[in-house]
Amino acid sequence: MTLMATPEIRTPVGAVALRIRGLRKTFGTKQVLKGVDLDLHAGEFVTLLGANGSGKSTALKSIVGLQTADEGLIEVDGAPATADPTKTAMVFQQIHLVKRRSVLDNVCAGALGRLPMWQSLHPWLFPAALRQEAMHCLDRVGLADRASEPAGKLSGGQQQRVAIARALCQRAKVVLADEPVSALDPNASEQVLALLAELATEGLGVLAVLHQPELAMKYSSRLIGLNKGVVEFDLPTPEVDMSMVDALYSGDQK
Amino acid sequence: MTAALADFSTAPKPPARRWPSPLMLGLIALLIVAHVFAWQGTDVSIKSLIEGRKGMADFLDEAIPLDLTWSTVLRPGLEAALVTLYIGLLGTTLSIPFALGMGMLASRATTPNTVLYQATRSILSFLRSVPDVVFALIFVCAVGLGPFAGVLALVFHNTGVMGKLWAEAMEETDLGPRDVLRIGGANGVQTALHAVLPTSLPQLVGLLLYRFDVNVRSSLVLGLVGAGGIGFLINEAIKTFKFDVMATHILIVLVLVIAVDQVSAQVRKRIGA
Ligand SMILES: Nc1ncnc2c1ncn2[C@@H]1O[C@H](COP(=O)(O)OP(=O)(O)OP(=O)(O)O)[C@@H](O)[C@H]1O
Ligand SMILES: [Mg+2]
Repeated sequence: MTLMATPEIRTPVGAVALRIRGLRKTFGTKQVLKGVDLDLHAGEFVTLLGANGSGKSTALKSIVGLQTADEGLIEVDGAPATADPTKTAMVFQQIHLVKRRSVLDNVCAGALGRLPMWQSLHPWLFPAALRQEAMHCLDRVGLADRASEPAGKLSGGQQQRVAIARALCQRAKVVLADEPVSALDPNASEQVLALLAELATEGLGVLAVLHQPELAMKYSSRLIGLNKGVVEFDLPTPEVDMSMVDALYSGDQK
Repeated sequence: MTAALADFSTAPKPPARRWPSPLMLGLIALLIVAHVFAWQGTDVSIKSLIEGRKGMADFLDEAIPLDLTWSTVLRPGLEAALVTLYIGLLGTTLSIPFALGMGMLASRATTPNTVLYQATRSILSFLRSVPDVVFALIFVCAVGLGPFAGVLALVFHNTGVMGKLWAEAMEETDLGPRDVLRIGGANGVQTALHAVLPTSLPQLVGLLLYRFDVNVRSSLVLGLVGAGGIGFLINEAIKTFKFDVMATHILIVLVLVIAVDQVSAQVRKRIGA
């Protein structure tokens, strides 16, 4: 039944880039994460699947500190995730670029975490080396020719690729993507996911949340099924049966 | 056609209606009483309004023809109007750094901690609640009669108003870009400079122009209490019963106010704020 999986998906070989153990989070009386364990290796593209409200976004937000987990261990590159925030980047469905600023300035902003204060007062002060590195990142996502345009002028798919270039300019080891293609048309979706998968083969760890099982199976090397805050399955894509995925979404939705 | 004949009795019963609570009815009653007292306390009288027509006619009689003598009325009037404009301009511009700094501390989007947030909000609300005329009276005592007292008054009051408006504008912007940068390790100042401020810039500029417009009008009133500008001349004309001079000055004021209002509105429309 796993016909959608493409044959060239590789098994992970890199070191553990992200390690999560026993992640718990409760909102009021509602247990949203009930002890989630997860390993993401460098070079892997892992997709988190699950129904609305199953806790996917909460898990990703806990990793980057937009939420504080009640309990659990989160390590990035062998150290607590809070030790070096520049190692983790996140892209969102809403993309979150500063639309008035140029594409290049947006990409450069990814590097703010390692820039001295005086050079980060205004884009005019960004060092030439950073601008050059940002151009490299833009080239990597195929948008170097759009560098000087306001980010808001680009199409949704292009803007999402700029957001990925910003993550690259941040020199992140792990990229989290919360529904990165939910607002994109099918063609742009494929482009963005192919890009993320390609970056993974170059050594990045990618953990995505997708609501399209077919795309998840096509591009990710491993699938994790989350059901009401519990990891239901965590398997290499070829071993995942479509019926397992269907079961994730069939539970009574509260 | 058939809808009128249809039988809906099998559908679920609608929830119970919600009538206004006794508390709400009490508040409404209180409000009505307050208005009755206000009506009496301010001597509102239709009769005086009708009789006032005569006083108005007398005034117009004295005011027209306008005194348009260039050297003694028109030229000083225009120069004073320029001073009024300058007071509004400087009062607005000089308050920018204070309003920006305090606005950033008083906005949940950019504030470093809740103590500073609360403290700055209290300061801003104090500056805002003291009318600029009161500030002007204080500064007239401190630095003497003249436009400088007006500038100082506007800087203080406008910092309070614009700081709050800017803080709210920053809070209303999409905080996603800020979160992305923060995730990547950017500090509070960096996220403010590269996400919150550029995202809210059109709104901030729009509010600035709006405040300029208001401040030019305020500086007229400040002149009445001695803080320079054409308000000062109007005050003198009233005291010496030169209504034809006063009418000329009021005409200049109208032209100035309408011009500033139009320019400000046009620019705001252009930047889409
Ligand atoms: N800040 C919050 N305060 C209270 N409850 C929250 C908060 N954030 C999330 N929740 C609740 O936690 C549960 C999980 O939310 P989460 O956003 O993680 O789900 P999700 O798997 O990302 O869903 P979706 O597919 O709709 O994005 C939901 O029931 C949600 O209402
Ligand atoms: Mg979500």
